[in-house]
Amino acid sequence: MKFRDHLIILSTIIFGFWLDKSFHPFTLQFFIESNFGLLICTYWVFALPEKLQTFPVLVYGLIIDLLFFNVIGFNMLIFISISYIIHLYVFRFRIFSYFQLSVFFSSSSVFYIACKYLLLSPLNYSYILLIVSFLINAVLWIGVYFIMRAFRRRFFSIS
Amino acid sequence: MARSTPTYTPIRNYAIGFFLSALLLFSDINYGSFSEVRGIFKATTLYVQMISTSVLETIGNTYSSFQESKNLLQENKELKEEILQIKTKDFLEKKDTAEKIKIINLYKELVTIFKSDDIHLHKIASIDLRNYFCCSTHKIFLQNLKKIKINENLPVLAGDSFIGQTTKNYLNFIEVILFSDTNHVLPIKSNFFYCDARGKGKPLLISCTLNKHNDVFKNQVGDSIYTSGLGGIFTQDIEVGSISSVNFISNDEIEVEITLKANPLEEIFYGIMSKQNNEI
Repeated sequence: MKFRDHLIILSTIIFGFWLDKSFHPFTLQFFIESNFGLLICTYWVFALPEKLQTFPVLVYGLIIDLLFFNVIGFNMLIFISISYIIHLYVFRFRIFSYFQLSVFFSSSSVFYIACKYLLLSPLNYSYILLIVSFLINAVLWIGVYFIMRAFRRRFFSIS
Repeated sequence: MARSTPTYTPIRNYAIGFFLSALLLFSDINYGSFSEVRGIFKATTLYVQMISTSVLETIGNTYSSFQESKNLLQENKELKEEILQIKTKDFLEKKDTAEKIKIINLYKELVTIFKSDDIHLHKIASIDLRNYFCCSTHKIFLQNLKKIKINENLPVLAGDSFIGQTTKNYLNFIEVILFSDTNHVLPIKSNFFYCDARGKGKPLLISCTLNKHNDVFKNQVGDSIYTSGLGGIFTQDIEVGSISSVNFISNDEIEVEITLKANPLEEIFYGIMSKQNNEI
């Protein structure tokens, strides 16, 4: 995969995290934590499993940690863990329905949110937030999936 | 049971990546190993944001000027430019004067309240809203365009109260930890008790735990809370907030929740006292 392709993927992930950052002040009061950044990242791993293996995912995680987080290693750890599971079951996922996929990817994002609060802010850990975020991210995944697929087919050199 | 799909996923690389990132995370959470790198990166990002904003504004202005009718621009060019210049000058003068008066008044007010001449005023550069609303880390960055040497752990003022203390300097930005950050501990007192209040990780909230059987505790919701001066950083007897709730957390302990007086979202200028309190 070319460097340009990595840049495109990284830009979309950064855009996702930027969206999350912009929405959080407004959505948190309704116990909603959107997770566009992680959903976009998992989409790319799901769509290009042969191209996106360990090292690129680690580097994406490191850059996201530097740009958006107060600790280094958190996104690297989550990205690598979820990426491994996706790689392990990628062909099984391909025969899943959209509903099953959205349940899996939404669960991943809830796992991410739970880890974030447990490790970085245990005082703000909330089950209501996790449940509401699960439902919202399940809906968001469908949108992310179709938009990113259209984007990949139109602008991306690798299919 | 379903059969596994025929994919080859070598676990070795993932295991290395997993342990490497876990090690980085552990060392950063426990020892703050990468705080310097992160701080410099954040300061650089702020610079890039400031520069890109000004570039975008310039491009936007240029673009909008091209949108105007060409003929109209030619006919009215000189007159419009003159009016615009006068308006801009007038606006800038008014803004400068208003800002200068505001700074002078604020400085006088701070000097009167805190009885110290060693106060430097700084404008806010950024506040991490995402963490401020959700998480434990509550920090702001202040501009230090005059490159004044600011030490660590100096009290930071906003409005007529303290708001936090300096932690580090990155390039021309000063990092300030707010009272509501869970890592910050503030020695406080009321008319009946002394305690070390810790940030709650929620906007404007700090709390401290007291012995329930403490007979001297007679405070009620709404009572004012002051700095005790213990710890040698903050001047004593400055009002920082008021009691917002008293919660029973066990048979022996009560938690006193305090809502802070100064709101960082409403302040533009912050004062930094260059000398620490040596009263106690």
